[in-house]
Parts: sequence; C-alpha cells; structure tokens
Amino acid sequence: MRYNPVTSKIVEELKQIAGAKNVITDVERMEAYSHDETNKEEYGRMPEVVVTPNSTAEIAAIVKLANRELIPITPRGAGSGLSGGAIPVHGGILLSVEKMNKVLEIDYANMTISAQAGIVTNDINALIKDKGLFYAGYPMSLETCFLGGNIAENAGGGKAVKYGVTGRHVMGLELVTPQGDVVHLGGKLTKDVTGYDLKQLIVGSEGTLGIVTSATLKLTGLPTAKSNLLVLYKTPKDAIDTVPVVMAKGTIPTGIEFMDKLSVQTSCEYLNESLPYQQAGAMLLFEIDGTNQEQVDLEAELVGDLCMEKGAIEVYVADNYTTQERIWSVRRNIAEAFKVVSPVQSLEDIVVPIASIPDIIPELERLSAKYDIKIPCYGHAGDGNLHATLVKNPAHTMEYWREMLPQALRELYAATKALGGKISGEHGIGVKRKAYMLENMDPAELGLMKAIKQAWDPNQIMNPGKIFDMA
Amino acid sequence: MDIIVLIKQVPETSDVKMDKDTGTMIREGVASVINPLDLYAIETGIMLKEQHGGCVTVCTMGPPAAAKALKEAIAMGCDEGVLITDKKFAGADTWATSYTLAAAIKQLGEFDLILAGERATDGDTGQVGPGIAAWLNVPLATYVSKIESLSADSIIIERLVEEGYQGLQLPLPALLTVVKEVSTPRLPTLRGKKKARAYTLRAMSASDLAVDEAKIGLKGSPTKVVKIGYPKVTRGGVVVKAAGEQGLSNAVDSLLEFLQEKKLV
Repeated sequence: MRYNPVTSKIVEELKQIAGAKNVITDVERMEAYSHDETNKEEYGRMPEVVVTPNSTAEIAAIVKLANRELIPITPRGAGSGLSGGAIPVHGGILLSVEKMNKVLEIDYANMTISAQAGIVTNDINALIKDKGLFYAGYPMSLETCFLGGNIAENAGGGKAVKYGVTGRHVMGLELVTPQGDVVHLGGKLTKDVTGYDLKQLIVGSEGTLGIVTSATLKLTGLPTAKSNLLVLYKTPKDAIDTVPVVMAKGTIPTGIEFMDKLSVQTSCEYLNESLPYQQAGAMLLFEIDGTNQEQVDLEAELVGDLCMEKGAIEVYVADNYTTQERIWSVRRNIAEAFKVVSPVQSLEDIVVPIASIPDIIPELERLSAKYDIKIPCYGHAGDGNLHATLVKNPAHTMEYWREMLPQALRELYAATKALGGKISGEHGIGVKRKAYMLENMDPAELGLMKAIKQAWDPNQIMNPGKIFDMA
Repeated sequence: MDIIVLIKQVPETSDVKMDKDTGTMIREGVASVINPLDLYAIETGIMLKEQHGGCVTVCTMGPPAAAKALKEAIAMGCDEGVLITDKKFAGADTWATSYTLAAAIKQLGEFDLILAGERATDGDTGQVGPGIAAWLNVPLATYVSKIESLSADSIIIERLVEEGYQGLQLPLPALLTVVKEVSTPRLPTLRGKKKARAYTLRAMSASDLAVDEAKIGLKGSPTKVVKIGYPKVTRGGVVVKAAGEQGLSNAVDSLLEFLQEKKLV
C-alpha cells in the first residue's frame, strides 16, 4: 500500500478540525509519540503529525480526512503498550486520545460506567470506590495506562484468574470506523445476539479496525477483604505444579503470579527489598479477595496448606496494606528492574493451557542453556500467561543477539504451540510479533482475519503494519 | 532476656483524606496497620530473642480492634500480646499515654529491654517512648539505628544524630526507640498466623492497673488542642529563563550564582 505524505495543506486542515493547539509538528514534542514501552531504538518511528482531538466528532473528521487522502492513522493511548501497537510505523497521523479523558455517566442502577478512551484506568476505581464498586479490569500498569489502550489490547493483568480480562467487562463501545463513521456497539445489555458481536471483535483488535472513543464498562461489587500469600519453592516446577492443584480445590484466587529466582532477585535488588529469595528457586504470589475478612483468611489458609503439602519451603501471609504493598511491589517492578539491569531484552507474553505450565519451564531452561542467555520468567501463572524474558548476555555482541533472538523465539513459540498455547496472551502482536504471527497461525484463520480487515478498512489507513501485513 | 515491644495501630496513610472544617483526618473506611516504625522495633525484639533467648511481649494501648495489630506481631514471632484497652483511656495525649503504658509495664513485672518505634505516623510526636522511660526511671536512647551488642546487664547501640552516629552503652533495663536502619521486618508466616489466631491476648483495663484515674484518658491529658490549621507553603521557586545563545549563557551564570549563594556548589 502506498500512502500519501502529510503536507502543510493537510496540517492546516487538521488544525481546522481539532484547533491549532491540538496539532503538533514540532519534532521534539513528537518524539514522545514515536515509541511505546518496547525498545525505542529498535521499534520507534516518528509520526509526521500528532493530533490530540477533544471529541468523537473531531476524531471522525480526522479519520475521514485520512481515508480520503490515503494517510495512515495510528491511534494511541498512554503509550504503555509492550508490542509496538501505538507506534506509527508508516508515519502519517498519530492520533492520541489523551484529551478524551472524561467520565460520561455512572449508572448505579445498571452498575455501569461510561468513560472516554483517554481516561487513566485507575481513575475509574478512585471515582466509584466510595459507592462500593470497582472496575475489575486490572492491567499491571493501571496507574498510567488508558482505557482505550486496554480495550485495543484486551488487557489482562493480575486479577484475570477470578475476574477475567478487559473484554469481559466491556458492555458497549463507541467506535470511529476507518471510513469516519461513528458506530455504537453493544450497550448495557447482559444478553445480546442481535447480529454478530462486533464489540468483542473490536476488543483486542489493536486499533486496526477503528478508534474506540468511549466505552461502557460493567462494574463489580468492591471486594472489601483480601489476603495475599507469598509462597517460596525450591524449584519453578514445584511452584507451577501447585497451580492446577489449587484451582481444582474450588477456591478461585483473584490472581496467581509466578516469579522465578532471577526475577525476584533482580526486582528485590532494584527495590532494596530483603525478602529471603536466596533460598528459593521460585515464588508464587496468591491473592484471595471477598467481602468477609474471616472467610478470606480461611480460604488463604487452605491455599497455604495446599502449597505446603506440595512442597513449599515457606508461606508468608500478607493480610494488611503494609505487607501486601511490599510483596506486590516486588512483582510489579520486575519488568522495570530488568530494564535498568539489562536494557537489551525481549519481553515475551506466551500463554498455554494452565495444566501445561509445568511443561514449558524445562523448555525455557533448555533455551537458556543452548543460547547462553538468561531467561527470567514471571507472570500470571493462574492464566497460563508467562512473561519469559530473553535478556542479552553482556558478553555477546549485538550482532550475535540480533541473529540469535529470532531463532530462540521461534523455538520458544514452537514449544508453546505444541502445548496448545499462543504467542501472546495480553500484550498483543503489534509490530513486535508480526513475523511470528504469520508462522504460528493457521493460514485459513489468518485469511479470515485479513478478509475482516479488508472489509472494515479497504484503504488500509487504520493502524497499518500491525498484527499482520495485508500484502 | 525479657523484651517488651510497644506498638501502635495507625491509619494506613497512602490515601489520607482530611476534614477541611475540623482539620482532622477522616478515619472512616481507612484501614489500620501497625505503625511502620514499630515493625522495626518488633523485628529487633525478635532478632534479639533469637540470638539471646527469652521472651518478647508486645503491648499496645488502643480500642479492641487493635488486637489485630498485636496478632500480626505474634504472627511475626512475638511470644505474648497485651491489649491495654478501656474507654477511660480514650483521648489520651502523649503524657497520659506514657503514664498508662508505664503502669501496664510495671504490672507485667521484670523486664530487660523496652523497644518502640521512634514515632508514630499519625501523631508524629516521638514523645511516648521517652515519656515511658521517664515514668519508669530507666535509661533511654532514641533514634537507635543499630544494636552493637547485648549482655546480661548492658546494651551497646548506635543512634542516628544530625551529623552522624553516636555510640552509647546503656545499663539494663533500658528503653530504646528505633529508626528503620535498625532492622528489616520479616513477613509473618502461615505458621505464625495460625499460632496468632489460636493465641488469647491478655487484656488490661483501667481497673487492672494501679493508675490515678485523673491522669488517664482525655481528662488526664494536659495537651489541649486549641486550633488546627494548615501551614502555608512559603517556598517560592526561582525560575531562570533562557532564550537564545546569550540568554542561555546568562541563565547559567545566574543559576550558578544562586547555587553558590545557597552554598550548594
């Protein structure tokens, strides 16, 4: 697909639509919009112009302009994505929803909230907490990420074992299509088979089928009691083997997070935290919530007992803010800690059926030995979603790393696929995994996806270059 | 070695809301936790017990709900827990609180060492520990950052002072208030939690203590809160503006001058 450049005439037209102060062409200011949380040097790409519109009508007009002039348009939330989904790989217009951050309605009778795509996800919870409600979507970057990005990537996070991923809470969407039409998908309905479920098609479509401008979310009763367990094991296998056992016993934890020794150690050193990680080969972090502290404590104790039966070295209990914050902080800071220690890395997002997690661990160990690199592994054990991270060995050259990485990833993805897994559970394909998507997906299924894209976006202006290439 | 650790249950402070009219904190719906610095006192007590043997008794004065804090301390490894609770104690200032706690400690019998956090995050006075030392007439070290050694009749410590550290040897029994350099609090284990759940706390009311009722609670507190106000932020920043090559050069000069004036460079 050949795209047209953003000319000064186009910039003028954008200024007329969104107002001059919402159109950015200054290179220094545009730099912030050229990358996300993936490696800037590797994946970053400058847009030709950045627009920060204030309304759905403005967005529709901008998309109409882009479609008419064949200019690629890349929607962007907070830029905390991990697969390059918001990077303008073909230049063109970068459309940031940062100014669309208002709550439109809180409907207590239907237990829903409607908000614009640029709201910080965590702000939703701050607004409704006093009413005893919460939004159960919980991306780990919740203090920065935007709702729009969560929907585009169908964000998962640390509470998905019990509450499910973002898509489970999205009841309705307002979408600007690649033609610039405004459509309302879903609504406040619990049941709806009135035609195809286009709303769920949009969730996780990485901004390739349109721009989500606002969403109606299902709210959940706020759990008032919670307890966490930090469980130390001799080996990753011991830890992972516990997960299916706990799940089968009837207690559904809010989250079950896995951290191997290297992950815990790196995060603890980054935070100056002194958890007794030296003796443990891996840890699990359980969260159990509910509305009655005694009941929650009892359930936590049952889970803790099961862990001890499965060979845990020690079970720590965190049932108050101080201790909970302390152990969750270790989990939340792993990715950040590794960036400090070793910036050249590939943060992966493989997902396998829960029962297959123990089988993927030896494969990681094999790859680590074969390629002489460290592969710390952490993530959402209760979802089968593991953030194995391939970290460059400082002794290796960049050339070796660039050559080795695709091979190692291919082997990792092949092993994942053999177990019935997929290459991304919650970070998305974006640009980062596009080549591997092609290799790991059934051609017929990929053909259906391309047919959908062709029908929705015949000019291929909407976030082109993501998930798969059309040509 | 008989060690007493004094703790306080405080509101969790990550999301504090103030009542604009009264100037006091809104406590409703706010979770309570062990005062953060007290966790270091608990850890120090348990560590000393592990090294030297003995018994760690954790005490708090507060409403019945403060039992939760004591149970957490027992789950961490303290041996005994004492809840000093009575409506008559409510509203006590640091003077009345230290008087009451000292009376409770006398009731507990012989002890070698009392440990407490240097201050609590809610009142932020740091007066209760020293107050108790005065009532009990035992030597006191505040801001303790390190326990050097402990023997049957004395303790050598290091305390944090404005320009460094001060080493002190105190005869026992003594009272220490600690800062966070002193230790790293452990997390309670599942075994500890189970032990704490099964444990029955010792309760002490006003009638259990040999106290003068005129010296306890709000009635016995000499501190009177007359008015609560908000401090004005008086720090005004200096903005150095730079435009163009010459402007930048001038700006650097004036910034340097400013920093030299403040003795920062």
